[in-house]
Amino acid sequence: MLGVLVALVALACGQGAEGGSDRVASAGVLRIGTEGTYAPFSYHDSATGALSGYDIDVARAVADKLGVRAEFVETPWDSIFAALESGRFDVVANQVTITPERQAKYDLSKPYAVGEGVIVTRANDNSIKSLNDLSGKITAQSVTSNWAEVARQAGAKVEAVEGFTQAITLLNQGRVDATVNDSIAVFAYLATTNDTSVKIAAKTGQRSEQAFAAGKNSGLLPELNRAITELGADGTLARISEKYLKADASGTAPQQGTAAPAPSTVKLILDNLWPMARATITATIPLTAISFVIGLVIALGVALARMSPNRLVSGVARSYISIIRGTPLLVQLFLIFYALPELGIKIDPFPAAIIAFSLNVGGYAAEVIRSAISSIPKGQWEAAQTIGMKYPTTLRRIILPQASRVAVPPLSNTLISLVKDTSLASTILVTELLRTAQVAAAPTFEFFAMYGTAAAYYWVICLALSFWQGRVERRLERYVAR
Amino acid sequence: MSTPTLVTVADVTKSFGTNAVLKGVSFEVPTGSVTTIIGPSGSGKTTVLRSLNALERPDTGVITIGEVRVDFSTDIPEAEFYRFRGQSGMVFQAHNLFPHKTVLQNIIEGPVIVQRRAADEARADAIDLLRSVGLDGKQDQYPYQLSGGQQQRVGIARALALKPKLMLFDEPTSALDPELVGEVLAVIKDLATQGWTMVIVTHEIRFAQQVADQVLFTDGGVVLESGPPSSVIGAPKQERTQQFLRRILDPL
Repeated sequence: MLGVLVALVALACGQGAEGGSDRVASAGVLRIGTEGTYAPFSYHDSATGALSGYDIDVARAVADKLGVRAEFVETPWDSIFAALESGRFDVVANQVTITPERQAKYDLSKPYAVGEGVIVTRANDNSIKSLNDLSGKITAQSVTSNWAEVARQAGAKVEAVEGFTQAITLLNQGRVDATVNDSIAVFAYLATTNDTSVKIAAKTGQRSEQAFAAGKNSGLLPELNRAITELGADGTLARISEKYLKADASGTAPQQGTAAPAPSTVKLILDNLWPMARATITATIPLTAISFVIGLVIALGVALARMSPNRLVSGVARSYISIIRGTPLLVQLFLIFYALPELGIKIDPFPAAIIAFSLNVGGYAAEVIRSAISSIPKGQWEAAQTIGMKYPTTLRRIILPQASRVAVPPLSNTLISLVKDTSLASTILVTELLRTAQVAAAPTFEFFAMYGTAAAYYWVICLALSFWQGRVERRLERYVAR
Repeated sequence: MSTPTLVTVADVTKSFGTNAVLKGVSFEVPTGSVTTIIGPSGSGKTTVLRSLNALERPDTGVITIGEVRVDFSTDIPEAEFYRFRGQSGMVFQAHNLFPHKTVLQNIIEGPVIVQRRAADEARADAIDLLRSVGLDGKQDQYPYQLSGGQQQRVGIARALALKPKLMLFDEPTSALDPELVGEVLAVIKDLATQGWTMVIVTHEIRFAQQVADQVLFTDGGVVLESGPPSSVIGAPKQERTQQFLRRILDPL
């Protein structure tokens, strides 16, 4: 089993290394990784649905110069470098900013767009006039973007988001004070949306140069750079820039920085063991425990309502179960965190996650509890009635203790799923285990090490829960003939 | 010799959907007497018994047990309903012991949780009751560790622990292996000699004959024939009663 896994990984790596100029030339195709959700650089035209944008047009022009066909592979930004390393495409065209860390790890081309860092705030917020004013403020940043580091070094608290649009949403909702990004992106946003609720409050002083990224030693750089130089000389880059940004951001060839030594993988894991454990103790475990307890209470109520002879009551319970089980948990999280503010209900990340997970557990566990209660013979209800018990007492003293024996194995499944589902809270700014791993992996590109460590943490929690389940089951079975 | 009446059942009816199970049942049970109900399956005898405990709620009719009178054609206040139910203790065919509780916990559950009696006192009573049904020393066992006959005797002790005025038995030996029937019937006979008022649904005709002061023969949702065992079982007047007894006593 393990051997097969190792072989697969080796195979995948092999394919990644085998890419490069020979492969591009022989296949006649340049495979380009891009987000497809990052207007106006890489997005789908709302009228035609076609993939378009600044980076898309540049990549097409480059492919033309190389005499090959451009094939785009759409990949979320947070996994775009992992996908590049695993050989899913040859280059990334997605406003990749040149940094020393990236240069150490990848082949970066000459820049095809140049901008500068700017700080965006709400239009009516005058408290930020320079980079220094960010100290103590909250900014929303994509964790893998270099702007997160700029904000962090300026003393800002960084909330992790999926992209620029989400950052602007959080800014407008008052959940964060600012977001730092490239002037190119900000001007493009302001131009396309006519949003007047936000403004550029200050510049960070950093120049940002955007380039293609290819795998290390891909052999693609000479050809890519030649193409970019030619496209700059013949005015193509300037034309593309005008088309999408209403400004010329094509820039000139920069000086390339020197590569910083990468920290060793072992040290990186050791450095992050405690931060990840802390995230587990302060977020993942409390999220799981609180949501499970509240969820069980909801589930019991829903299960009893579902069994009620009153049609309205049982109908409401049935609908609840149907909606919870019929919609993705991620969508439920987004509805509570991102959609409710539109109705004026703004809930902080942690409580929002608790609400979503509790409701979710409530829906699933309700059916488990209902079937467990149904499995108790009618004679038990009758015996309790004849000794004078009323409904709540019967439930509490006679039915639920017996039903719990039936319900514990499936409820343990629900609990163990919940442990892992809490990783979804990372998408609504809860800094739990997975988010901590993402943040550690982003600047270092050590995805395997960091996500592997996170996986180990989750597994250990679930292992502990499985042992506990065994103990509970043995205890509940003491009155059953063996 | 005339004894006071404990139970009066007057014109009780009950339907399940369109199926009329009881079509006007009336009888009386004198204090301290034993009444057995016999009859073919589907005749309504179990429904009559369950009505006495309101496990089955009659559609119409009046049942009086001791000082509690309930008219089922009217709305019954909840407190009155539970007072009515508290008059009797029920022993089931399938014992229905609580499997997650020990013998002792099964017996004291009603007295302590429902009647709010002191746990010490209820426990002492339970030990006495266990001795009287021949289960000395079994108090800490779980039901699954007992034989069928022992389980049924715990069921009897559980009902007795509530100190009801009336004891109800729903075919208490039907689910038992034949060799275990005797020990349960012996306990019931013992209760009869102690002066308990009891209503027993049974297929044990010989037992009914020995223990009963009054036998009710039900058929088609009514009491077709009633009287002392010497007449209803010994010399039945109704042809249906004769047929039934022939089939039961001489099945071949």
